[in-house]
Amino acid sequence: MQHNNLYTFKFIAMITIVASLLLTLAATQLKERQDFNIEVDKKKNILKSIGLDVAAMQANTIIEEYKNKIQDVVLKQNGDRVNHISSEDLESVENKSTGQLSYFYENHEYLPAYLASEPQAFIFPVSGKGLWSTLYGYLALDMDLNTVKGITFYKHGETPGLGGEIEKKWFQDNFIGKKIFDNSGNLKSITVVKGKAVDDKHEVDGISGATITSRGVTDFLKRDLQRYFTFLTIHRSN
Amino acid sequence: MDKISKAIISDPLVDNNPITKQILGICSALAVTVKMEQAVVMTFALTFVLVSSNIIISLLRKGIPGKVRIIVQLTVIASLVILIDQVLKAYLYDISKQLSVFVGLIITNCIIMGRAEAFAMQNNFKESLYDGFGNSFGYGLILIIVSTFRELFGSGTLFNYQIIPTWMYLEQGGWYVNNGLMLLAPGAFIILGLIIWVQRTYTHFIED
Repeated sequence: MQHNNLYTFKFIAMITIVASLLLTLAATQLKERQDFNIEVDKKKNILKSIGLDVAAMQANTIIEEYKNKIQDVVLKQNGDRVNHISSEDLESVENKSTGQLSYFYENHEYLPAYLASEPQAFIFPVSGKGLWSTLYGYLALDMDLNTVKGITFYKHGETPGLGGEIEKKWFQDNFIGKKIFDNSGNLKSITVVKGKAVDDKHEVDGISGATITSRGVTDFLKRDLQRYFTFLTIHRSN
Repeated sequence: MDKISKAIISDPLVDNNPITKQILGICSALAVTVKMEQAVVMTFALTFVLVSSNIIISLLRKGIPGKVRIIVQLTVIASLVILIDQVLKAYLYDISKQLSVFVGLIITNCIIMGRAEAFAMQNNFKESLYDGFGNSFGYGLILIIVSTFRELFGSGTLFNYQIIPTWMYLEQGGWYVNNGLMLLAPGAFIILGLIIWVQRTYTHFIED
């Protein structure tokens, strides 16, 4: 159909305005619910890392449980606790090549962590590159600050069925009870090996067909543990 | 429903299937067919976008200036895709997390642009509605067939429910190992190829 130029401009203007109004409306109306979902998902994963069964929990239960059990703490790099900032004030910046998250508040770098009561645990975020994507998760330690209480991965873009198995229970359960320090107090971390684990303290079974994802997990666990090393060592002795 | 309307709906299921006959939407057919759950949600999302875009384009078709029609179609489709993405994030967060970028990529699904340009621009509201449903079902049918094979042989489950008994697995002392190829895109290509082969043997269709 032939239309003149003025009509074309008017038509395009109309379409653009209607579409943008509609999308603005949807985005603003749904924003609250979306943010709520993201927050619930984060809290759910923190609770999951200490071994609670979160699959059956409703959103409200998760918020309630989190409020009762989890307390967030912010640490300085030397391991001291900071009281005037909460972990929500921290701004996270991702290193694009390693996937490591750094947390800043007024240009100073801090380390976020969470303390859980019943069961008692010390939890902190871990992240790093797998094969295709950055993996984000939480690692929970027992109060001896050595034994792993649990691990979760809440966001990744690995191949489902291969690298994506990191989100599965069987893989995450393997970490429970492993130690991050060796007997002389050196940080040994945990290695995801190819095939079956041999060292029952510091190794977990690998995922077949996902060598690079497994290696990524090994690398970033060690790297992120290193950041909390000072804190862990100080508090392990008392 | 009259004969023509029925034909509009049933034609894209087999004889004129958007994936196996027109070879459109292959990219998403490879990406979201690892698990059946994802395939089903993707089908619903695509049905929403395709039906709505067909209706809107068909209602506007007499007013859309010919010179800019593709841009108008794209605006309509893109808006609908963003809308469904936002709704999924608000109401089905877990599934939207799994589908991640693929919902956004419905914009680039050739089936939608193809139906808008080839059908909705020339036909009335009702026929475009039927055409939207027909093509979505045709797309969904293939997605579900492919994902059934991929999930069953790749993960041993269907809708995340264990089908292949766990005692058969090598780790549990059995002999069975999941087929890793099924989890990767080439597995989907092979299954898709087999489906097309079977269909063409059956319908005697030969590409000119």
